[in-house]
Amino acid sequence: MRNIFILLLVLTFASCNDVEEWADNPSGNFDALWTILDEHYCFFEEKGVDWDTVYEKYSKRIGSKMSDEALFTVCSDMIDELKDGHTNLSAPFATSYYRQWWSDYPQNYDERVIQQYYFNYNYRSLNTVDYGILPQNIGYMHYDSFSTGLGEGNIDYILAHFATCNALIIDVRDNGGGSLSNVEPLVRRFITERTLVGYISHKTGPGHDEFSAPHEIYYEPAEEGRMMWGKPVVVIANRSTFSAANDFVATMKHLPQVTVVGATTGGGSGMPFSSELPCGWGVRFSAVPMLDAQGVLTEMGVEPTEGCAVDMSPADAINGRDTILDFAIEYLTKS
Amino acid sequence: MKRLLMILGVLAAIITSRAAETDSVAPLCPVLTVYTAEVGASKITDTYLSPLKYDGLYAALHFERMQAMKFNPDRWVMQLKFDAEVDRVLSPSRNSEMWYGGVDASWGMMHRWQVAKGLTLAAGGSTTLDLGCRYSMRNGNNPASARAAWTVNATGYAAWNFNIGSLPVTLCYQPTLPVVGAFFSPEYGQLYYEIYLGEWNGLAHAAHWGNYFEMENVITADLRFSATSLRIGYRNNILSTHINNITTRMATHGIVFGLTHEWISLSSHKKHHPQSRIISALY
Repeated sequence: MRNIFILLLVLTFASCNDVEEWADNPSGNFDALWTILDEHYCFFEEKGVDWDTVYEKYSKRIGSKMSDEALFTVCSDMIDELKDGHTNLSAPFATSYYRQWWSDYPQNYDERVIQQYYFNYNYRSLNTVDYGILPQNIGYMHYDSFSTGLGEGNIDYILAHFATCNALIIDVRDNGGGSLSNVEPLVRRFITERTLVGYISHKTGPGHDEFSAPHEIYYEPAEEGRMMWGKPVVVIANRSTFSAANDFVATMKHLPQVTVVGATTGGGSGMPFSSELPCGWGVRFSAVPMLDAQGVLTEMGVEPTEGCAVDMSPADAINGRDTILDFAIEYLTKS
Repeated sequence: MKRLLMILGVLAAIITSRAAETDSVAPLCPVLTVYTAEVGASKITDTYLSPLKYDGLYAALHFERMQAMKFNPDRWVMQLKFDAEVDRVLSPSRNSEMWYGGVDASWGMMHRWQVAKGLTLAAGGSTTLDLGCRYSMRNGNNPASARAAWTVNATGYAAWNFNIGSLPVTLCYQPTLPVVGAFFSPEYGQLYYEIYLGEWNGLAHAAHWGNYFEMENVITADLRFSATSLRIGYRNNILSTHINNITTRMATHGIVFGLTHEWISLSSHKKHHPQSRIISALY
């Protein structure tokens, strides 16, 4: 009986696996943040970041009596080394953002120019979509965010509105993303068979190179009776096309009737995980890499179709013209 | 092989004859039903959701059915249990909330021995199906962590029947220890979205004490006023899993209170001898 008791005791302690703990002080919170990212962040190799060197660099700035705001600044600077728009630190007084992924590039979009000079404010709005028909008989829709989705019926109405148009422009400039589940219903209107749209993998352990084999993602065409679109399509993107919108562009680019015009997108192909520090601050970071249909990582952005890279001319904008939209209209008119 | 069959045959004959000896008049085996509620403290850590240890409160409902088994009611009892539990726990800084909701069902058989007057010991096995979900209110793409496990357990009890004045009381301690089984876990950084997409590799795992340790301890006192008793007690459950570099720990300590009731189902089709012995499952 005594032996059984000892065996149970040993097994109990052997089975209670340790969970690393950090003190709720500047050093403990800094170490927690560094470790969470060290074990879960997914793009160290692609971005050439030596995370141990980053620790050496920033841990020196941690002092035991530093204020919360000073700690936040050091931690924000540290995670900015990842150059990742999906990686943020959230404290009660601020959320950190790495902004250079878009601020170092021309904006290439002025909503007012299109609303005023192309539609004279005569366009329809539905959720986060503005749409109308251009004088060249080309349907135009600007999808502002995939945070809010269009219902299947909404998409039917929009495509029915464009039924007599010769082509369609889907403008996802300044679309900062949202949910992938809002991308799929739209893409399904442009495919006629089960289509490979990309791959997804995940970390299988805390090591920087521990990843699962990429798993295929397929989309099915919209069910029978739904409005479909088989005519030419131009997708317009800019650097602020990010995350789920980046995925939309990457997916559409591989469809035969689709051309991508504008600038390279902002990337953001790592689906973010959330975690937290002992002090209660939240941290979000890229954790699950997604690849396009050719197995290419789109974290650094999706380039326009060859020969279709266009920047918006400030002079054109002053004159009420959108250089990129004009390029798209001309491209579709000629083709 | 022949020898083994012979031994089994003899054992079966002995068991049957012993049962027959005792049951020259068919005994009555009342059903003991238990309805209890629990409240107490809960601690949850799930490194898929957060590296921090959460703590808070839990509440649970419990239904149990226990009965002496007809083939040898003096020696064997069966126990059927259902539980539903809700936990609400907070992060150390109290700005983040996690919920757990779970149900489990368990069926077991135990052999019992009366080792002294009023003292019964029992040992046996049970099988349990656990389903639940931990949900972090602050997380975006990884808000939930599912729990699904099927286990085969070692269990038993020690029951002591005594009187306080004229009031019969039954004090019972029952531990349950899963020994083997299978359980679900996503991979280290796997999104449930990937599971939805069909990435099912590596989700089911054989459970053993190296990766899945759980132990339940229940101590109850039944104050037997009549066929209905008042049950008060304490329940503690510890779960610790470690698989795919994900560590999960759940621990609850709670007070138990509720009612038990013993009843016999009588049927006009079956005649019962007025001198039938009544063999209780626990008392």
